[in-house]
Amino acid sequence: MENQTFYYDNKIVRNFAYATLFWGVIGMVVGLLLALQFIWPALSFGIPYTTFGRIRPIHTNAVIFAFVGNGMFTGIYYSLQRLCKARMFSDLLSKINFWGWQFIIVCAALTFAFGITTGKEYAELEWPIDILVAVIWLVFGANMIGTIIKRRTQHIYVAIWFYIATFVTITILHVTNSIEIPVTFFKSYPVYAGVQDALVQWWYGHNAVAFFLTTPFLGLMYYFLPKAANRPIYSYRLSIVHFWALIFLYIWAGPHHLLYSALPNWAQSLGVVFSVMLIAPSWGGMVNGLLTLRGAWDRVREDPVLKFMVVAVTAYGMSTFEGPMMSTKTVNAISHFTDWTVGHAHIGALGWNGFLTFAVLYYLLPKMFQTQLYSKKVANMHFWIATLGIIFYAVPLYWGAITQASMWKEFTAAGFLKYPNFLETVTQLRPMYATRALGGGLYIIGILLGVYNLIMTVKAGTFVPEEAASAPALVKRSASREQGEGIHRWLERRPVQFILFALIAILIGGLIEIVPLYLVKTNIPTIASVKPYTPLELQGRDIYVREGCYTCHSQQVRPFRSETERYGEYAKAGEYIYDHPFQWGSKRNGPDLSREGVVNGRQYKPNSWHYNHMLNPQRLNEQSIMPVYKWLISDDLDISTTAKKIRVMQLFGVPYPEGYDKIANDDLMKQARGIAYDLKSQGIQVEPGKEIIAMIAYLQRLGKDVHAAGNPTATISGK
Amino acid sequence: MLHDVYKSVGGFGSYGMISMIIFIVFFALLVLYAISIRKKDAEDFSRMPLDDFSKESDEIQDS
Repeated sequence: MENQTFYYDNKIVRNFAYATLFWGVIGMVVGLLLALQFIWPALSFGIPYTTFGRIRPIHTNAVIFAFVGNGMFTGIYYSLQRLCKARMFSDLLSKINFWGWQFIIVCAALTFAFGITTGKEYAELEWPIDILVAVIWLVFGANMIGTIIKRRTQHIYVAIWFYIATFVTITILHVTNSIEIPVTFFKSYPVYAGVQDALVQWWYGHNAVAFFLTTPFLGLMYYFLPKAANRPIYSYRLSIVHFWALIFLYIWAGPHHLLYSALPNWAQSLGVVFSVMLIAPSWGGMVNGLLTLRGAWDRVREDPVLKFMVVAVTAYGMSTFEGPMMSTKTVNAISHFTDWTVGHAHIGALGWNGFLTFAVLYYLLPKMFQTQLYSKKVANMHFWIATLGIIFYAVPLYWGAITQASMWKEFTAAGFLKYPNFLETVTQLRPMYATRALGGGLYIIGILLGVYNLIMTVKAGTFVPEEAASAPALVKRSASREQGEGIHRWLERRPVQFILFALIAILIGGLIEIVPLYLVKTNIPTIASVKPYTPLELQGRDIYVREGCYTCHSQQVRPFRSETERYGEYAKAGEYIYDHPFQWGSKRNGPDLSREGVVNGRQYKPNSWHYNHMLNPQRLNEQSIMPVYKWLISDDLDISTTAKKIRVMQLFGVPYPEGYDKIANDDLMKQARGIAYDLKSQGIQVEPGKEIIAMIAYLQRLGKDVHAAGNPTATISGK
Repeated sequence: MLHDVYKSVGGFGSYGMISMIIFIVFFALLVLYAISIRKKDAEDFSRMPLDDFSKESDEIQDS
């Protein structure tokens, strides 16, 4: 058959590559600032926009969705065209994908800095941006599927299967987890509450790791590793088992983020079992990648691209062994809420995603610019400095995590907590935090060397925006299975059917885990004494969410003696039924707050303590690493939204009396005046209409309903 | 016996057992299929990334 000539679109690949480098530097520098705030909390600069709780989502989102996201698009746009022997389906869709994604990133950075957040980790974007993400993601999907359909090859290569799974699953995860009711243009509440919200969020959160940070990069591995090594993939058979087993299993594993929580035990157990089983397909993929280098290991010594790839695949193997290990209840009892989780996440992000992204960039930019890499020496320096950076980053965090978990759990011979003051356990970690910052700094130096090397490469070369290629047209074949054709062989040439099969594989786990939590009422036993938040507490809770307090404080006491002794009663599903969103957190840089309001409880502090603590934490505890929140004292509470918030809560079934929205602000001011009066009696003059009053009201409510069963302190007019 | 082992995992019960069976059957069929692929086909597919019809740029990198 006659060859057709066509042109690969390299411009879109180049644009995504530049965006990857730009956002990579930004995201990691913000990460370094966060790391330094653990040592010098004054680096919050006393302003809201740079506090830990606000810039931590900027860091995570910038690295995940901006750096890794743009890196993923770079690799997919490059490899998809070549594997399909076709130009992208639509240049316009490519451009919308690129500019739309960059616009989303800018919107994310600005809104997080201004405290506009849903308060759900890795899904902090507010509803208008969520809609934009969905639209741009669908544009990417349409462009990708269109390209696959107009391809010139019969067979759809394994890398593309991973791209398809990425598109399908992220669409479902994003839409499901982002169902929220707007209150204003910048504020919404998720439809899910408490335990249900936690399960949906971590089903999303875990699978964002699986299908945004893992599957697309496995696709890139299956394309770029054979290319760079100039060797075929080790085992195509293994890749089939790897793909289907991975996407089927991954979706079940989300509940391992909620072990020992109020989530029903059956869901936790499913999460554990499937997480452990995940080792098999994950290591299958790693082995397939590393064994592809059989006969080419001598080139690893010389070729920086292969060096980066080998460490990336090894880091993937380490992460995917460590993850299941952390998912067992025995290890999770120690690792959860500590820096172990942070270390684990960074082995994946810095090692697997970061190194593979740079391997891809080092591979494709010289090709598109028809030149060689500017300096192998600089690339090797990047490699070794960044590798050292990962070690200096992760090891102290593992050390610190075990140290802190041991301190949390240690009792004296007399049966008391040996370190009852949480701050003692934080102070102990300072050297580890300093070493972690050093590791992060080294990694950034490596990145800067990489950026310099690539800029010089680009400068030295001549860009080929339209790369000529030729291939025969695709021969039309029967839509149904041909004689002797296996189901999978048939699927490998039928993209739409392939998408449907992938969809079924990922839906099974998701539906089996999530649906019963909504249909079986006994999963979330209600507690009669748990009442809705008062209007002032609701406003205070929204400030808590705005400031990202959940990034450092959990609201979930686990059923261990060491935790109930330190905080009080362990968490129960029924106490969170009005929490839109849940605020359980995943890391304790400070103590758990869910029993903060229990008068005479272990964590109770008077209103004046909270006021002074927000004003200047270091004045109360010199060693405290908490940032100052002095604007809460000067800023007026916006009560114009109270009525709308009450109405949205009523829509969710929160039992506020009918018409309560109209009088909610009366109750709000009454409660606020009470707190202001109490503060005045302690010598603190503050107007009742300030944000700090709402924040104190919320903190003082935490845990009260569970402890004062039958005697709730929250009062709602008309009840 | 397997049922007893899984029953002993807190709260797992027959619900998780059914999920496990679904996966094991799925996995077994997948392995059987992978084994049944003709060697030549598997080799051809595994070489796909190396056959992208843009040799010019490859030569520049390798030179």
